[in-house]
Amino acid sequence: MPCIVALIVFGIMGIFSASQRALAREALDCVFRRVTLRPCNTGFAEKVKGKLIAKILKRSTFLAKVLNKYYEIFSWIFFILMVGSTVWVFRGVYNFYVYGSCNGLNESGFCAFDPNGENNKVTPLGDGATCGVTQKTEQTVTLKDVDLSSFSKQEIGSKDTVVFIGCYACDYSRKAYPDIEKLVAKKKANYIFAHYPAKGDVTNFLADTGYCVAKEYPQKYLDFNSYLFSTDKNYILDPKNIDTILLNFGFDVKKINDCAKSLETKNAVENQVKELNKTNIYGTPTIFINSKAFVGPKPYRVYRSAINKFIFF
Amino acid sequence: MLNVEKIRGDFKILNGEKKPIYFDSACMSLKPYSVVEAMNEYYYEFPACAGRSSHKMSNKTTKKVKETRKFIKDFINANTEREIIFTRNTTEGINLLVNSFPFKKDDVVLVTDKEHNSNLVPWLRLKERIGIVLKIISSNEDGTFNLEKFSEMVEGARFVSVVHTSNLDGVTNPAKEIIDIAHKNGALVFLDCAQSIAHQKIDVKELGVDFIAFSGHKMLGPTGTGVFYGKQKLLEELDPFMVGGDTVESSTYEGYKMLPIPEKFEAGLQDYAGIIGLGEAVKYLSSLDCKEIVEHEYILNKYITEELQKFPQIKIIGPADPHLRSGIVNFYIENTDMHKFAIILDEMDSIAIRSGQHCVHSWFHSKKIYNSARVSFYIYNTIDEAEVFIKSLTKILKIL
Repeated sequence: MPCIVALIVFGIMGIFSASQRALAREALDCVFRRVTLRPCNTGFAEKVKGKLIAKILKRSTFLAKVLNKYYEIFSWIFFILMVGSTVWVFRGVYNFYVYGSCNGLNESGFCAFDPNGENNKVTPLGDGATCGVTQKTEQTVTLKDVDLSSFSKQEIGSKDTVVFIGCYACDYSRKAYPDIEKLVAKKKANYIFAHYPAKGDVTNFLADTGYCVAKEYPQKYLDFNSYLFSTDKNYILDPKNIDTILLNFGFDVKKINDCAKSLETKNAVENQVKELNKTNIYGTPTIFINSKAFVGPKPYRVYRSAINKFIFF
Repeated sequence: MLNVEKIRGDFKILNGEKKPIYFDSACMSLKPYSVVEAMNEYYYEFPACAGRSSHKMSNKTTKKVKETRKFIKDFINANTEREIIFTRNTTEGINLLVNSFPFKKDDVVLVTDKEHNSNLVPWLRLKERIGIVLKIISSNEDGTFNLEKFSEMVEGARFVSVVHTSNLDGVTNPAKEIIDIAHKNGALVFLDCAQSIAHQKIDVKELGVDFIAFSGHKMLGPTGTGVFYGKQKLLEELDPFMVGGDTVESSTYEGYKMLPIPEKFEAGLQDYAGIIGLGEAVKYLSSLDCKEIVEHEYILNKYITEELQKFPQIKIIGPADPHLRSGIVNFYIENTDMHKFAIILDEMDSIAIRSGQHCVHSWFHSKKIYNSARVSFYIYNTIDEAEVFIKSLTKILKIL
């Protein structure tokens, strides 16, 4: 058993060190001899055991005695732990690849590959919200029973549908948006954009304006969105600049402003937010790809994997 | 008394920050500065062939090789330098003898039951090849040589090939008596001096031995060097088993004329750096008093033996009297793999000892002992080191 453990451990360490490689070769020879029902002729097991016991004996005779006596049992325990941790590591790597987090979809626990949790950061909902890591409060973020008919849609008859719920003023939404644009274009997916004014009053006027642009100029709405997500945040959030922006797109500024100020629009936007709240959303961006929710700005490969169905569990 | 402190100053490895406790000199001795420097000097200043070219560098190499041959001749008190043949080690010397001597089917060859594989396997092979009769002389219960049994067995024998000092238990066989008895019975004698040459005076003339072989690496010299000695008349009768460059005076497409000894046995380009280093090692050893070496080793052996005897589970291989075991204490604990023991010593306190069957597998198999741990010391070891060893050993025994 120690030979198998040593083969795996030294095999991995041997990738980086020539001296460990030599030990790995010895361990391989030992394993080969044992599986062919011959004794290990390199004394490898004893060598490893001797080295371990010597290190412990320097510190504690009692512990060295215990290790010497129960070496085989300790070997099995460490073998099982090693297999378990190896499976865990592979699971973590898989999760990180397909979900952007070692711990699974939208899980914000520590991940060695994303130590700062960048892939799970969201803008919490509500006035004066600040950006940062927010632990998920709803277990089930879903599109079930949510009516998205009032939102801007790009229906092209695809089997894949992407729903982006984001906020013009939120850093993480702004980070994720270009990837979603790219995904929709590359994978030719149906696309629904839903603006959620996560920062309250600061973005309410953009929500109203966006609603009116979608209503009056549906064919130019996504271009308008792209512009808002890619232009300096301070500029778009200053209400004084909105007329210039609308003018630059060739929109009828007065018509859009009148629409945005109307009670009808306010009610519509409010209803949209109510509808979005039914998803149990707890932060932006939240992206649904074929109804599976991805909260926070994930790496592009995560979205691509979701479309490619590279998710086993 | 041997000035051990002064001697230790001659060995780089014993003067660093991390000094190992080197108790494996029966396998390989450490090398003093002078040996390494002599070899470096050859490589840096005159790295040429000996005896072939006529330029200054070549002449210097020739001179140095010749000097070494003379040092060795004087060291073992041979009759002439022609009796000194350079080899790679003792094993090569024995193979040279086994393959060059005109053995015939049914020739009786005697060896002891404690021979190193190098003085057993070549004879076993000869037995397979031409059908010699190989007889094993059993040792006494305590590992000492059984002269009585030998006297009975030697009748009718053609050759006696025995170890001088055993690397198994350090016992030195009574060479003079063995040789006299063998000669009286018409048998020639080869002595394997690999283990004895560095620890005691060997005078081939006084012993009257026919052939001996030893290695440089156990006597402070470089690895890959050795010496085969034979009485001139006997060497001249041997038929070299390896020939080629440097072994012939001249050749035509039809034939060749061999050089005289020792050249006819030294085929191909020699290890000149090694030979020069070996010369330095012999010079170094010649500057020490052999009796003092024996006395120093006895002090260390006595101390370790007495300490080991305090542990009933430890069994020492060979006679109980440390006087009879030269610089070797070989011991084992039943049902314990002594490899582990040696590894722990090394890892814990950098104490280098040898574990295993010490190339005397035949003895271990016959005694049904799995392996042993061998402590072997030399001129540079101290009683302090022996004390550290005993302390570490005591600690290990507590966990076994």
